[in-house]
Amino acid sequence: MTTSAKPHAIEVNNLVVSNGDVTAVRGVSFTIPQGGRMGLVGESGSGKSMTALALMGLLPMGWNTHGNILHDGVDLVTQSDKALSSRRGRTLSMVFQDPLSSLNPVRRVGDQISSVIRRHTGADRKVAEAQTIELIKQMNLPRPEQLVRAYPHEISGGQRQRIMIAMALACYPQLIIADEPTTALDVTVQKQVLRLLNGAVRDRGSALLMITHDLPIIAAMCDTVAVMYAGRIVEIGPVQEVFRNPRHHYTRGLLDSQPTMDNIALDGSSRLVSIPGMVPPLHSLPTGCAFNPRCPAATDKCRETMPELGSNGVSAACWHPIQTAGEVAAQ
Amino acid sequence: MSAVTPFPADARPLLEVRQLSQVYNLNRQKLFAPRPKLKVLDSIDFSVRPGEAVGLVGESGSGKTTLTRMLTGVERPGEGQVLYDGVDVWTGGEAHEKLFRRSVQVVLQNPRSSLDPRMRVGTSLLEPLRSLRIEGDHAARVLEVLDQVGLDKNALERFPHEFSGGQLQRIAIARALMPGPKVLIADEPVSALDVSIQAQVLNLLKDLVRDLGLSLVFIAHDLSVVAYTTSKVYVMSSGKIVEVGKPLDLFRNPQAEATQALVGAVLSVEAGLAGSALA
Amino acid sequence: MNTTTTAPTVAPRRRRRLELNASLVVGVALTIGFLVIAIVSFFWLPSNPNIPNIKNRMLPPGTVDHWLGTDGLGRDIIAQLMVGARTSILVGAGGATISLILGTIAGLVAAAYGKIADETISRGADIMLSIPGMVTALVLAATMGSGALTTIFALTAFFTPSFTRVIRSAAMSVLQEDFITSAKLYGRGKLFILARHVIPNIAGVMIVQFTLYFAAGILTEAGLSYLGVGVTRPSISWGMMLNEAQQTVGISSPLAMWPGLAIVIVVLGLNLLGDGLRDVLDPKLKRRS
Repeated sequence: MTTSAKPHAIEVNNLVVSNGDVTAVRGVSFTIPQGGRMGLVGESGSGKSMTALALMGLLPMGWNTHGNILHDGVDLVTQSDKALSSRRGRTLSMVFQDPLSSLNPVRRVGDQISSVIRRHTGADRKVAEAQTIELIKQMNLPRPEQLVRAYPHEISGGQRQRIMIAMALACYPQLIIADEPTTALDVTVQKQVLRLLNGAVRDRGSALLMITHDLPIIAAMCDTVAVMYAGRIVEIGPVQEVFRNPRHHYTRGLLDSQPTMDNIALDGSSRLVSIPGMVPPLHSLPTGCAFNPRCPAATDKCRETMPELGSNGVSAACWHPIQTAGEVAAQ
Repeated sequence: MSAVTPFPADARPLLEVRQLSQVYNLNRQKLFAPRPKLKVLDSIDFSVRPGEAVGLVGESGSGKTTLTRMLTGVERPGEGQVLYDGVDVWTGGEAHEKLFRRSVQVVLQNPRSSLDPRMRVGTSLLEPLRSLRIEGDHAARVLEVLDQVGLDKNALERFPHEFSGGQLQRIAIARALMPGPKVLIADEPVSALDVSIQAQVLNLLKDLVRDLGLSLVFIAHDLSVVAYTTSKVYVMSSGKIVEVGKPLDLFRNPQAEATQALVGAVLSVEAGLAGSALA
Repeated sequence: MNTTTTAPTVAPRRRRRLELNASLVVGVALTIGFLVIAIVSFFWLPSNPNIPNIKNRMLPPGTVDHWLGTDGLGRDIIAQLMVGARTSILVGAGGATISLILGTIAGLVAAAYGKIADETISRGADIMLSIPGMVTALVLAATMGSGALTTIFALTAFFTPSFTRVIRSAAMSVLQEDFITSAKLYGRGKLFILARHVIPNIAGVMIVQFTLYFAAGILTEAGLSYLGVGVTRPSISWGMMLNEAQQTVGISSPLAMWPGLAIVIVVLGLNLLGDGLRDVLDPKLKRRS
């Protein structure tokens, strides 16, 4: 892939994350253009969260990153901790799954937001506090003047997640990484928070990397999607294409196996097609394609050689990609 | 396996609660102020008939957890009755309580927490039989149940940490099946599992209901998961049952505000691709 | 049964690896060395560590037959250190064991037998912890006379309340797990639940705490004996050796150095062992990765 004239919000080349014992991310590449939105789908152990932490420079102790992460004109892999930390919250920021454990329980939420603003913009206290209140208003939170003085445990989960989003957006970052931002919330709150995140990211022109196992969220929020399995991207492309005509059997399986309004009949007669087997543990991955033991189309080739993205002219790492109806008809 | 005849519409409920209310005392706000009371359940009527699969949905704080505790006999209701096979569980005598304890079994959300990490799977499976003092060929029963949930018998010698979440949930279901229950209560049984595993467990529950003629009470916050597994859904909000109906009717024509909120919250890939999901 | 419910293949059996963890290896080595020296002291000593020999007073380290020298009364340092190791084990392990037993009982009762039991035991532990340990030790020494047994009692009084707290909170977190609810639903009583579910799940915590309190016991014993309210001759303790060395510190500093070094090495070894075991035994730390 050639670097285009306009820099991307982030460009990841052959990212590998390992701790010497196991490799959680095994050569992942993708780009998100300025203002673009990518969804990263995967299950536990797929490496999606480790990818996010690697981008943020927040990997747990003992984990190393190889490859390039180009962002804002620098390679984040080679940056010092100090340089990374001055970027976090400024040019790239993250919204975590559990807002309660990612907010400081003994500081008022307003102080937590305004200290981010002061740190990165050098604004004085008054200005930062005014901006904080403005930000909280934008988050559709009630009574911002009182809310800034609340402690995290005094507000609801949905409100806390909005505060987290406010903090992440405070300095107009180029890229926001949201790691399962609504999993810990009630379903009825989920949609409001997503709607808010959607609007706020759009208003700021930030790019979004949405990490989730929930396909409908990606369909609603993103324009491209990358499906991860066992540390690799197995399918990547525009959401419309990937979800309407998945090429990889794993993507197809994910779409089929989550009960949603699309694939169940409401009279109880339907039956989900489940993916057999289980996600392989990182320390004993099968040879060849990691999905082969669970794949309906697996052949000896799949058991021997690992397919790459694009090996078959489709944007899926599969030796036997699913054909579209048009392709079947053409044959 | 024999085809199970559909339950007659007028069949007597197997597990039922009548006019159930529960009030919790909260901590005092002031030293000498009376303790504030919170009505977590308010005159609940709920029943499940033999072979029927019913769902219970509601947001967190709606009271569904407390109702689940009542249905499983963990907590004694303040007001109202919990009936098994028409007899009050708490006042029906020891023999009936024992019958209730073996006939109503529960599968919980997090299988890592519901199995003792220091106990071999085989021992965990035998626990219900031993503690409920159920006679019979225990070894044969274990093998039968393992087969029903699709696990191999070499699982018996192992410890929970050797299994994936989906396998552990199968083991938890197997343990619930051991005493030969009539009612299975599943409390968010797939929300802690990987996406690709959820369908396996949901299908297993559906099969068990069909093949063993079990009654199922499926508690979840996700309306589509409940709609997939059950034929009748109770919607709870603020300690009350606000709506009961077939999943189809609830989705098409939700009446109560809480149902409308839950239906409105359901996201789908189709709506997302059409750009209308967050509208 | 329908074929789409495919049975998952069982994961390849993973053995619990005792990962080579540096603090565990060093801790085990130091602790075993310490135990071996104490055991050998029962069968062989270079010379009698209690009989003064004026002729051999204050021999420097390196002297033939007295490789670490002798003290102000001509008694061999190595022999005294060896017998001192024995005392350290008796007092440290004795105090830690008794407090572990009492603390486990009290902690389990507090965790499982209701609010009144919990309040009584927890407040009792608070009160005991608020009494300075040295005061307890001095009172005990004054009433019972000093000696190894008194020191063990004093250690038990210091350690039991903290053990109780640790066991109580560990047991409470196990009691919140869903498998306890299941056991209750099946009609299991409290004793069964404590014995079969709770204790096996807090055994790791108990072992780790034991090694840490063993080390703390050795330190405390040395402190008490140094003050002269701990162990008395014919028993020998490293703390006592420090006390005696004080009288000759102007003449020979190594005299104070040897028991000091012994204490540092053994306490370090036990603490490393405890930390290493914690890493290996704690399933929560293991599951990450």
